[in-house]
Amino acid sequence: MRLLSANPETRESPAIGQRAQPWLGTLVSIRVAAEPDLATRAMGAAFDEIGEIHRQMSFHDPASELSRLNTRAHREPQAVSARLRRVLSVSLALAHATGGSFDPTIGRRLVEQGRLPAPAGDASDPDARWHDVALERDGRVRFRRPLWLDLGGIAKGYAVDRAIACLRRQGVASAVVNAGGDLRSFGPPHVVWVRDPADPGRNLPLLEIGNAAVATSAGYFNDHPPHSAIVDPRTGAGLGDDCSVTVCARRAIWADGLTKAVLADPTGSVALLRRLGASAVLLDRNGGRRHLS
Amino acid sequence: MRDPISIFWLAPAALLVGSPVSGTTYLSVEQAQHLLFPEAQMTAHPVTLTAEQAKAIEKASKTRVRERTLKVWSASNGGWFYLDQVIGKHELITYGLALDPAGTVRGIEILDYRETYGGEVRDPKWRAQFVGKRAGSPLQLDVDIVNISGATLSSRNITVGVRRLLATHALVVGKS
Repeated sequence: MRLLSANPETRESPAIGQRAQPWLGTLVSIRVAAEPDLATRAMGAAFDEIGEIHRQMSFHDPASELSRLNTRAHREPQAVSARLRRVLSVSLALAHATGGSFDPTIGRRLVEQGRLPAPAGDASDPDARWHDVALERDGRVRFRRPLWLDLGGIAKGYAVDRAIACLRRQGVASAVVNAGGDLRSFGPPHVVWVRDPADPGRNLPLLEIGNAAVATSAGYFNDHPPHSAIVDPRTGAGLGDDCSVTVCARRAIWADGLTKAVLADPTGSVALLRRLGASAVLLDRNGGRRHLS
Repeated sequence: MRDPISIFWLAPAALLVGSPVSGTTYLSVEQAQHLLFPEAQMTAHPVTLTAEQAKAIEKASKTRVRERTLKVWSASNGGWFYLDQVIGKHELITYGLALDPAGTVRGIEILDYRETYGGEVRDPKWRAQFVGKRAGSPLQLDVDIVNISGATLSSRNITVGVRRLLATHALVVGKS
């Protein structure tokens, strides 16, 4: 028999702190296990980092770095921050690997559907695709045609990765960061729930993670009917109206981007999932469940 | 990589059960004030809007004023703290807005988040049944927002609420 008080984990487990702030068009919540002063400092630093990413990558804010690209990069190459360059580089790698079922030039379709405001200046070329975005050797970004980048399908994942790195550096014992469904954690295993596609007001215990990232995409909360919440960049067609896809990967930026690729082409995504050490589950409205990789 | 990836897909049997979201309390009013104004003393500054003021705020912010009694604090450094609530189709969010002395946004903290749909009460027996599914330490089955992956609601309601409070500050409170 073991006495509870004799368990060092119980006796020494630090306090839990949690906070949430609105960023990147969603609620970002952070939970850490740390002494109160450290928890406050660490969560403050993590939210500062997320706020910085929001300011750099906002499509809505005409003063963001992303908006500067969207209005000027087809005229002359633009210098960008290391953060934006990293997100663009992962976006283009995913676009290449998925044959464009993930494509950061999706801004044009979302503007057409009235879901994003049209940026100032030249309109996006309707034929522009991800391969019209060039990352120059000198670090600058150039568009081969006028186009509108939107990083809404991947920036939240990146922000979660950066926040987790920040919390680790600060020395908290364990943490979970969740930005509107893109989640990453380190520390002891915990259950991650996903919404039931048949009834998004309910949650299902889907997996247990320790050090890993999970992202779920689905169409059930749609602010813009009759358009779908998620759009296939190749065709403009709606995706995920009656199912959800959850991807588990080492990094949240991969998990976030991969959910869209899996929704667009589940079978075709298996090789890429395997290459990145990721796995995915599709849930449908009838309780069906399909594992990929 | 510092740590190997650690994941475990739960058995489909576990998917027969689901939990409604209740929500999460993040901070008390005092905690939020302390985070947003760590160095300042806060003084309650009660304000009740007249019908005309409410109308002017609605016009300026293009949003409805549901509550004319405001919860406002002034900070000893000249800043302001507003406690407000937004009610969406599916959620109820209590948040704090901090303004610096010039009336620009200094920070926003969520105090409480509730989802107002779902809400079906489940038989507690299902938990016991689920906990036994895996060898090793018992699973933590607390559901709060931080543990849910999947399309969350947008923060649009908060954006609209902040717009209303900024109009309130510009037209009424910051003028007094």
